[in-house]
Amino acid sequence: MSLTFFSRLLLAGTVVVAAPFGLAQAPAAPANPVAEAPVQGPASQRSISEWLLRMHEASRRRAYRGTLVVSSGGNMASSRIWHVCDGEQQIERVESLTGVPRSTFRRNDQVITFSPQTKVAVAEQRESLGLFPNLLQSTDNAIDQFYTVRQTGSERVAGFEADVVQIEPRDKLRFAYRVWSEKKTGLVVKLQTLDGQGRVLEEVAFSELQLDAPVSMNKLARMMANTEGYKVESPELSKTSAAAEGWQLKQPVPGFKPMSCLRRPAANGAAGANSTLQWIFSDGLASVSLFIEVYERRRHGPEGLMAMGATHTLARRWSDKSGEWWLTAVGEVPAQTLQAFVQGLERGK
Amino acid sequence: MTQQVSTPAELVSALADGELRGEALVQAVQWLQENDDARANWHAYHLVGDVLRSGELAALGTNDAAFVARLRSRLQDEVQFGQPGSDLPATDARTESLQGLSQHEVANDASFRWKLVAGFASVAAVVVVGWQLVVGVNASSGTPQLARVEVLPTQEQAQVMIRDPRLDQLLAAHRQSGGISAFQMPAGFLRNATYDRPAR
Repeated sequence: MSLTFFSRLLLAGTVVVAAPFGLAQAPAAPANPVAEAPVQGPASQRSISEWLLRMHEASRRRAYRGTLVVSSGGNMASSRIWHVCDGEQQIERVESLTGVPRSTFRRNDQVITFSPQTKVAVAEQRESLGLFPNLLQSTDNAIDQFYTVRQTGSERVAGFEADVVQIEPRDKLRFAYRVWSEKKTGLVVKLQTLDGQGRVLEEVAFSELQLDAPVSMNKLARMMANTEGYKVESPELSKTSAAAEGWQLKQPVPGFKPMSCLRRPAANGAAGANSTLQWIFSDGLASVSLFIEVYERRRHGPEGLMAMGATHTLARRWSDKSGEWWLTAVGEVPAQTLQAFVQGLERGK
Repeated sequence: MTQQVSTPAELVSALADGELRGEALVQAVQWLQENDDARANWHAYHLVGDVLRSGELAALGTNDAAFVARLRSRLQDEVQFGQPGSDLPATDARTESLQGLSQHEVANDASFRWKLVAGFASVAAVVVVGWQLVVGVNASSGTPQLARVEVLPTQEQAQVMIRDPRLDQLLAAHRQSGGISAFQMPAGFLRNATYDRPAR
């Protein structure tokens, strides 16, 4: 169901992507986007799609290792990164240096996270990682329609010259981004999320980076596969659709398209009626999850708006004749966007 | 007295916030000295404030977490059903089962703090409404208005950082299945693997 949906979007998007200058070499078919070189138009003239494709391709083509620092909402976290690819697949290792010890491995869209303290490994497939560049194409209209891009200069990050690219929203329903894209490869070496006043809400940056480093794919693959001594868990998710669950958005939020709808077990592990519905939207850069649960006074409350860096959450009790519900909207968007989602929600049947 | 019933509670609330000066301050202190309910309010207000403001405290032991869970549940009871004369939240501890927050999920993970943007204001308002009701009934006034209170976030509100394991779980779910962005591959995934706790 969802695949068909994406394919349809993809078909619609291909036309749009093929049109702008410089993109003639870009892959028209999603089957093998790695075959051609990334877009090489002059930096000052690149469209958003071209920039994003270039950044994406860099992570598909380059091996590197480095130290990544994330600052968000007054907190900082850092990790050691290994990244290697062979054109077909990429493998990545993220070793946390702060907080609870954990190692995360990714092979394309397959992710496994080892927690040495609890001896639990969570294995999952992340659809969001497999979507690109289809996502870019499918939401190209939205990205161009709702964001503008300009190159604002060059700066050095972690020892590399980088183009500074400012991606600004055209309305107040999304945040702005400032991206430092390494000049030769396009690799994202620093990314900031900015609010409407230009304040930095969150920053991800390499503090140290070794491009084209000798990283062994075999070794990473072996480490990823070695779950000995760990209890391997996978999240139990089932695909559904908002319509089938009886929900609709009477007032769609501009730019945000429904991408997927999942049912996941309740937080305490109980299945059945108490499970949580997760309805996912994206405008191509920012995404919002709308969680819908049956309201239980013991578990839910208080209502409120919370923030952690660029991520905002809005919890609201919601009722109509169908019953009482607890809504939690989560996304890297301003509070008013979450409000728009919650207000636009309607029980469809 | 009927006209003034809510004023003492508001005074106590303002006193707890350190907002009173001059005559109002004298009045509030005097009210505290004379009135048992006011002293109970004063105490509870501080307790509520301490627990909600301090993530460390809320995450320290089961009792504290249970207190927050009970507090939430009680606050909602008060607003929905407006049971007059009910005890202060902390005194009813024994009867509630320990649900709502799971401790080990957040222990020792200092990076998971949510900034309350509007929630605390709502909670504080609800607390005040509850107290007003208590005072109002004691003073045999008419039934106070107990419609759901909506409070807009105040501009200069102090930053309140809290932990919320339930919200953390939803965030993890959002990172796991949502997070659909063109930045996902070049930066988003690395960011999440670095910053967030793993999803379960």
